[in-house]
Amino acid sequence: MLVSIKNVKKYVNLDGLTAAQIADGLTFAGIEVEEVTSLASGTHLVIGHILECEPHPDSDHLHILKVDLGKEVKQIVCGAPNARKGLKVIVAQIGAKLPGGEIRPSTIRGVASEGMCCSLLELGVDSKYLNEEQTKGIEELPSDAPVGEEDVLGYLGLDDEILNIKVLANRPDLLSLYNVAKEIGAIFNREVNIPTHEVKETFKTDLVVGSATKRCTQFSGREIKNIVIKESPKYMVEALRSMGVRSINNIVDIGNYVMLLTGQPLHMYDSDKLSKHELIARDDLNVDFVALDEKTYKVIPEDIVITSDGKAMCLGGVMGSVACAVDTKTKNIYIEAASFDGASIRHTSNRLGLVSESSQRFVKGTNHFQAEDVINFASFLIKECCEGKEFSNIVTYQSEEKVEQKLNCSVKRINNRLGTEFTEKQMKEVLSRLHFEIKEVSDDEFVVTVPTFRLDVTCEADISEEVIRILGFSNVKSVLPTLAVNVGGLSLRQSRLRKIRDSLLAKGLDECLTYSLLSNENKDKFNLLHDEEHYKLLNPLTDEREYFRTHILYSLLESAAYNVNRQNKDLALFETSNMISLSSRSEHLAIVLVGNALNQDLMKKEPYDFFHMKGIVENIFALLGIENSRYKFDRFSSNKEELHPGKSARIIFQNQVIGVFGELHPNAKKDVGLNKTNVVVLEMNLESLLEAKVSISKMKPISRFPTVNRDLALIVKKEIATGDLIKTIKKCGNGLVKDARVFDVYEGEKIMNWARSVAISITLGKEGTLTDKEITDTLDKIKYELSNTYGAELRM
Amino acid sequence: MENQNINEIYSSAMDEIGKSSTSEKLQELKIKFLAKKSVLMSLLSALGSLPPEERKEMGQKLNETKAKIAKAIEEKEAELRKAELEKKLESEQIDISLPSKRVELGGQNPFYVVKDEITDIFLNMGFEVADGPEVETDLYNFELLNIPKDHPARDMQDTFYISDSVLLRTHTSPVQAHTMQAREGKPIRIICPGKTYRRDDDDATHSHQFAQIEGLVIDKDINIGHLKATLELFAKKMFGEKREIRLRPSYFPFTEPSVEVDITCANCDGKGCSMCKGTGYIEILGGGMVHPNVLKMNGYDPDVYSGFAFGIGIERVAILRYGIDDIRKFYQNDIRFLRQYRKKA
Repeated sequence: MLVSIKNVKKYVNLDGLTAAQIADGLTFAGIEVEEVTSLASGTHLVIGHILECEPHPDSDHLHILKVDLGKEVKQIVCGAPNARKGLKVIVAQIGAKLPGGEIRPSTIRGVASEGMCCSLLELGVDSKYLNEEQTKGIEELPSDAPVGEEDVLGYLGLDDEILNIKVLANRPDLLSLYNVAKEIGAIFNREVNIPTHEVKETFKTDLVVGSATKRCTQFSGREIKNIVIKESPKYMVEALRSMGVRSINNIVDIGNYVMLLTGQPLHMYDSDKLSKHELIARDDLNVDFVALDEKTYKVIPEDIVITSDGKAMCLGGVMGSVACAVDTKTKNIYIEAASFDGASIRHTSNRLGLVSESSQRFVKGTNHFQAEDVINFASFLIKECCEGKEFSNIVTYQSEEKVEQKLNCSVKRINNRLGTEFTEKQMKEVLSRLHFEIKEVSDDEFVVTVPTFRLDVTCEADISEEVIRILGFSNVKSVLPTLAVNVGGLSLRQSRLRKIRDSLLAKGLDECLTYSLLSNENKDKFNLLHDEEHYKLLNPLTDEREYFRTHILYSLLESAAYNVNRQNKDLALFETSNMISLSSRSEHLAIVLVGNALNQDLMKKEPYDFFHMKGIVENIFALLGIENSRYKFDRFSSNKEELHPGKSARIIFQNQVIGVFGELHPNAKKDVGLNKTNVVVLEMNLESLLEAKVSISKMKPISRFPTVNRDLALIVKKEIATGDLIKTIKKCGNGLVKDARVFDVYEGEKIMNWARSVAISITLGKEGTLTDKEITDTLDKIKYELSNTYGAELRM
Repeated sequence: MENQNINEIYSSAMDEIGKSSTSEKLQELKIKFLAKKSVLMSLLSALGSLPPEERKEMGQKLNETKAKIAKAIEEKEAELRKAELEKKLESEQIDISLPSKRVELGGQNPFYVVKDEITDIFLNMGFEVADGPEVETDLYNFELLNIPKDHPARDMQDTFYISDSVLLRTHTSPVQAHTMQAREGKPIRIICPGKTYRRDDDDATHSHQFAQIEGLVIDKDINIGHLKATLELFAKKMFGEKREIRLRPSYFPFTEPSVEVDITCANCDGKGCSMCKGTGYIEILGGGMVHPNVLKMNGYDPDVYSGFAFGIGIERVAILRYGIDDIRKFYQNDIRFLRQYRKKA
């Protein structure tokens, strides 16, 4: 809502207040002023008279003007096509500061120029208020404009400042200049003077108004005869312009002017174009409707339509029909001031894409009990501006009873809510400034009657807000709340997730954040865990963001590619996020490793591989205290070419696949733009880990007896898993094998191509001293088992 | 005669020990002066031939001399060893400016730095962390928060719908309703960090995805003063001890009264600068007293209980704190961006 200081001043005493002070006052009373602007600006302006206008000898469009500025005559070079002898113009003299810069003496193609003839655009007036001619050339002032007048902005009615008020959904009443004036009056405790208008009724109308729908609860009309359509008076053109509306003609302007001042949209019908003298609101039509803009709209049931003789004459609150539109030949009119259901207007205007100042007011809510006053005000203006002389009585349909909103309030309760110590007197003074009526009940209790224009005040909490927003939050005493028992803190789940994230950061992984919405094309890419059905948006902004993701990995690979494209070649990225599908909600972790693991800068590079990721996974289990016997890895197989079939694994925990990791398939790397590098990925569902039960293990005594180490070098077939060899060694060692670890693996030229050489270090020990025989027997048994089970050959 | 001889041996030994500069040389001296065939030893073995009255004195003298020489050699040896070690260590000097052997700590998207820090501030004030789904129902996202169908406030938040009644939450406030229903009328003190979605085209200052931290405190006799004190403490912990806050009236359908909370600008200390557009204050969050209708709809008697709620934009706080110029940077994950941020210890 644009509020012109010059106009609002007519209704509230603003003496001694600057626009900035008013803006601050409004903002701290909860009505945010987004901007304070001048309608136009410029210094050193003067009204001039073009005495001579000669073409510039060295240009095909410039003119050399001699302009009378009252005190002196100056030579000005001007490029405007409409510059001509005899024209009265606005001149910016040397030193003038305009929105575009300062005017200096200059020489244009060899001719001296001492000033500039201005268009309103050059004074900062928005082009939307100007007609085509005004935007193309210099402003043409009326022939009676006073030459030498220096208060040019004042002469033009442009000496105004505009507050741009952000009207929040709870205060639709502020879409009315009168109500803004009342609000400012309340805030600054200033006198408010809203005029009332009457016209003399000269005849009884036969107009019938009514409503056949609950969506229209009130409909008032008046017939006015013999009006003349012409230009609006200057004050109205200027007032409209200051509030962002362009002047059309007197009758259209009156509609807009009254709406901006009172908040009540009006509609005018050319009564001679109606076949029946009735206006009935209905919501059951299913017809094509040709609107004022001459476009055809489909009207469907539930749209509010004003009908006459069964025909749609106006899309209530949205747009009139071309069939009964007021035009320059109109003589006789009906004025409508009605109340429509906001939700219906919202549906209709959104569906048809017809959003206007008037539809916006109905959507947000209007005062249902001021229609007759508003019609009287419009009539008064019609009498003044349209030569209207014949006014009928006002006919009104009203299905809604005027119920005054009365609220029981208590000084104590309001103070308790606010944390303040306001007195009863303070509260009542504030409320009466805001036009609330107050009836005292006891020392503490009082009853408040809410003014009809305040649709937002419906309970005592609302009254407390009225009190505090005027008296100020600085009166609130700041006290920390106390709770008897402190029960705060992270839950086990939350702290486990935090631990996992912190440990990954400590290991040098960077924590990422990616979008939750994916395209149809990408939503299943690199979804390595179970397929779940995605939530799909009904109204996506783009195809790129249409589905709610059920996995993170694709998004994280996109981040990896973004980095690689920017020369960030060595990456370790992770993200944890909550995944939602139609059937489940779960916390996921994804990791992407690209390029090299670095240690000692670039001095020690090691390309990321499967085993880096395996280590990360094992560490997560260890971090949560889950022993390695409780989970296992097995081979991952898939018919999608996403992971390297030989270098990928599934993570099995509690008999469920909770994660998949491995190196990317060469074909998949291309798909995500990472084809030139090595990429290892992981996607893991963390739910079972976050919820896992972990027991506290009792201390195991540390043996006093020395252990014995023996190394075995084995040749096995490549398909034998080394992990199985280790398991067998531990199992068959008569309980003497305390540990068995791989310390070397070799495949290559020096041995057969089907074979792998594995070297294992075995630690033997017991509660006592080992004898040579025990050692030999155990090793023999191990060798026998390995040979028997896996065909392993001992290598010496 | 013999005495003189011993003195000569002693002084020549001391002289040679003093001059020797290697452990090899010292070994030679050991043999020369202390081995069986040395002069000293031969004198010692010849003691028996001396008359008894001389034998004692001479024996004592010889043994003392032998011990002194042995000690001198030992000391010299130790000295040489020390010097040799020093020399060796000196030759082993490394370039300590070479890079360390370490895994560099990961960078953390500032989004998480801020999210975790805010969470911790409230945890320390005795709050719990609640959680709610990002895919919500119309009921929880709107209706139970006093935003009925066709309420004009729905236009304030352009919503991604999944069906007529299912949507992506537009704020973390639905967690208020979930929590109230779960706690069944008992006091509440929670925060809920979470992702939210609105139908905004992405540009430098808008994002279809962003995140908030919701706060909710419900108990008997809660008032705005409690909200103010809680947020004051938060502002000081998050932005520095010198920060002050200011409440401005505003409007949210689910709080009454509603406030916007501004903090004094960290850039100019409230004097006014380009960052705060000359006002000295920067808006950081919104909040208010829980609307009686919201309490009622979610099982709390507004005549007995009252509460306050607030919502903090995580990216907004990060943007203010770090001077980040484009909200899309949070979602690009350029590691040169991520590595600028790390949680404070």
